[in-house]
Amino acid sequence: MTAPIASTDFDLLREQLGKTSVSATTMNFIVWIDDINFRAWVLERTTKILEKHPARAILLDACPDTPAGAKLVRSEPGGTDDANITVHGERVEIGVKGMSADEIRELTGSLTMNGLPTLLWWTGEGITGQPAFDALVELADSLVVDSSGTRNDGATVIELTHFLARRRNIRLRDLAWMRLRPWQDMIARFFDDPTLREELYSVRSLRIVSGSEAEALYLSGWLASALGWTATAHLEFSDAAGTHIPFSSERAGRIRRIWAIEVSTESTRYSATVSEQDENVVFVKATGKNETPGRFVPLQAVDSPSLLERAILEPRADDLFESALRMVGTLTA
Amino acid sequence: MSDSSVAATMMRPGFPPPRARPNPLRAGIDSNRIHDPCNVIFFGASGDLMKRMLMPALYNLRLEDTLPNDYGIVGFSRSSFTDEQFRAEMKKSIDEFSRSGPAKDPIWSEFEKRISYVSGDFDDVNRFHALREHIENNDKVLGTQSNRLFYLSTPPSLFSPIIDMIEQSGLGQRSNKGGWTRIIIEKPFGTDLDSARALQAEVEKAFDERQVYRIDHYLGKEPVQDIMALRFANVIFEPIWNRRYVDSIQITAAETVGVEQRGGYYDNAGALRDMIQNHVLNLMTLVAMEPPALSDFEAIRDEKFKVLTALRPIDRNRVFMDTARGQYDAGSIAGKPVPGYRDEPDVAPDSNTETYAAVKLYIDNWRWADVPFYLRSGKRLARKGSEIAVRFKSIPHRLFGELGDTIDNNVLIMKIQPEEGISLRFSAKVPGPKMHIRSVTMDFNYGTGFGVVSPPAYERLIGDAMRGDATLFTRWDAVQAAWGAVMPILERWSDVPDETFPNYAAGGQGPASSERLLAADGREWRKI
Repeated sequence: MTAPIASTDFDLLREQLGKTSVSATTMNFIVWIDDINFRAWVLERTTKILEKHPARAILLDACPDTPAGAKLVRSEPGGTDDANITVHGERVEIGVKGMSADEIRELTGSLTMNGLPTLLWWTGEGITGQPAFDALVELADSLVVDSSGTRNDGATVIELTHFLARRRNIRLRDLAWMRLRPWQDMIARFFDDPTLREELYSVRSLRIVSGSEAEALYLSGWLASALGWTATAHLEFSDAAGTHIPFSSERAGRIRRIWAIEVSTESTRYSATVSEQDENVVFVKATGKNETPGRFVPLQAVDSPSLLERAILEPRADDLFESALRMVGTLTA
Repeated sequence: MSDSSVAATMMRPGFPPPRARPNPLRAGIDSNRIHDPCNVIFFGASGDLMKRMLMPALYNLRLEDTLPNDYGIVGFSRSSFTDEQFRAEMKKSIDEFSRSGPAKDPIWSEFEKRISYVSGDFDDVNRFHALREHIENNDKVLGTQSNRLFYLSTPPSLFSPIIDMIEQSGLGQRSNKGGWTRIIIEKPFGTDLDSARALQAEVEKAFDERQVYRIDHYLGKEPVQDIMALRFANVIFEPIWNRRYVDSIQITAAETVGVEQRGGYYDNAGALRDMIQNHVLNLMTLVAMEPPALSDFEAIRDEKFKVLTALRPIDRNRVFMDTARGQYDAGSIAGKPVPGYRDEPDVAPDSNTETYAAVKLYIDNWRWADVPFYLRSGKRLARKGSEIAVRFKSIPHRLFGELGDTIDNNVLIMKIQPEEGISLRFSAKVPGPKMHIRSVTMDFNYGTGFGVVSPPAYERLIGDAMRGDATLFTRWDAVQAAWGAVMPILERWSDVPDETFPNYAAGGQGPASSERLLAADGREWRKI
């Protein structure tokens, strides 16, 4: 709610009067929730997205304790006070427990606005054997999932490889993959110097420490597909010359986060590790023949709203992701 | 041959390694990072601009991982500081003014190691030699590879002496064979056409034009860049963006503040020099230019320059008909009394400097022939607001509207600050049995639409200069043309003091003469 304005505070009065409604709507935003433990988290992030991208949001709440029925929530002017942002958005919350998949699809479809792209954010556990998922995907142009941090995130990644194989007409985004962008940049940066380029073709081992499995799978899949490696066995690679590259994946740190990466070549070990002072900063260094002094690199935009926003703003298919996903499919086969 | 077999062949012993293959890990992984290592050297480093804007901008560039791996930040000023004292001052300024909040470890502790300071007078060549040694040492210690970006954030009177010292001490491009040298020059670039030419002559002694980045921080604002996006990323506006459909264009840069601590500078400048000659004319060129063939910075600057060269010269005999000037008197802003201009600190009690300027200009080309561009800027006006309003022509034939209804002209408003967005005013039917027509406004606000607060212009501009992207900087030919456009006004205004000063109350709409300027054409200003 907007705070009352003291009659003498003309600056504030003008500021409030200057705020106008947003008449721009950018998309239909369908959100599926079926886990009571994630409900508040998903709602908070959905609200953040609506603050940035005015949208028709349809929250489908399948949590056991949510009663059937719907309510319309129009956000109050306010948004983030310090940013001086006025937000008007609309959100429909629907309890769908007990509804059939067809009913959910019909109801949701009738609530979407015509002529706008439709984004489905599926926060449920897994996607296989979920009639509601299959029904809602029919309505969406883009699908966003987060395979990381689920009970079996490795399995979810595998499900995505199958989904990708059978559905080519939808843009697939996995937040677990998108979260890796700054790490990919950090690894690429080690080898931006043209004199170190050949180092990439003498990688001898790869070690990834992460709080969940999906990130490690994706990162290794990305490196393998970019460098022409092949998966020779479960969690094993070999390079184009046939050299064996052991891949070690360890669990440590927070879920959905990489904690450390080491890429070792014949002569040098390139490493990046989350700072103990600030978990949003990474310490990178190279030791060995091509030693470089260590430096801190901030992790940019790895929070879920930022990733969701990127998923919204990058409308094209992500070839890099799809290549990495296919590689993960062979790596874990 | 498949990619993997090609790779396998290249890995065979004795097969020569390929040279400079692109980094395969870069495919699809973009980065906004600046690649060239460099030193950024700030003259006037103990000044207000450095504290409020420049150092916070650099720190935020570091926080966003935009700065190159190897960089140095060198402050140069008269004040005496050790490196540690200067770093402490800069930390205070970041704590107070950075949009990302106080400086934090571990980034700050690494960042501060790259900040250093050299003190000296701006005409002391020995201190510039010391600065050169300092920078060369940075090249060795910090890996900055002889790339140098100078930033003149001093009063304009020091620009020439500093450039002269840069050249004399061997800091200029001609002495720097190992890397690039660039210089950012704050506005104003000269105080009139002659002084601008004199300053340019000094600049040319030490720098080529492609090394000179004349900054106008207005151009770094997101909404200013959005003008080009609106015009050239949409197909619906371009067909009507011309004399056939546009009645007139108003460009306003209104402020509620007075001269604050800048009385000494401002009393020698005035609104025409301070705002119209640079900010406002720059906005006009963006609105009026032809679509560039490329998004390349020279192509854009070429088109902007063409607009300035097409400006109809102001006839000295028409100056008082095509312009208006004003000076604020005491009044009230936001319900609080404020003094008149002549009572401000460092302002002459009988000053004839204008704090408000309005100008009518024409662009003599096929697109804009006979479309008036009304430009105005002033201090102590009713509201702060910069905007461009494109007023379209009246409908050719009135079909609707009950007796007494007015059908207003469509107006497209590009709001630059403090609101950032676009409004379109158009006619619609009032619900009901009768055909009443009234104007409605459709608003789009960048802040709410995309939910982001635009980063300060200085972040963008310093980053661009480090990259060598001069799109948002003003080229000398454009500066010269802009001075040429306003010189007849400056001269006539100087010849004939305005005896009516002060002629508008603080907190108002500006002087009555400004209203008359448009009334003579049958138009009126949009309310500030």
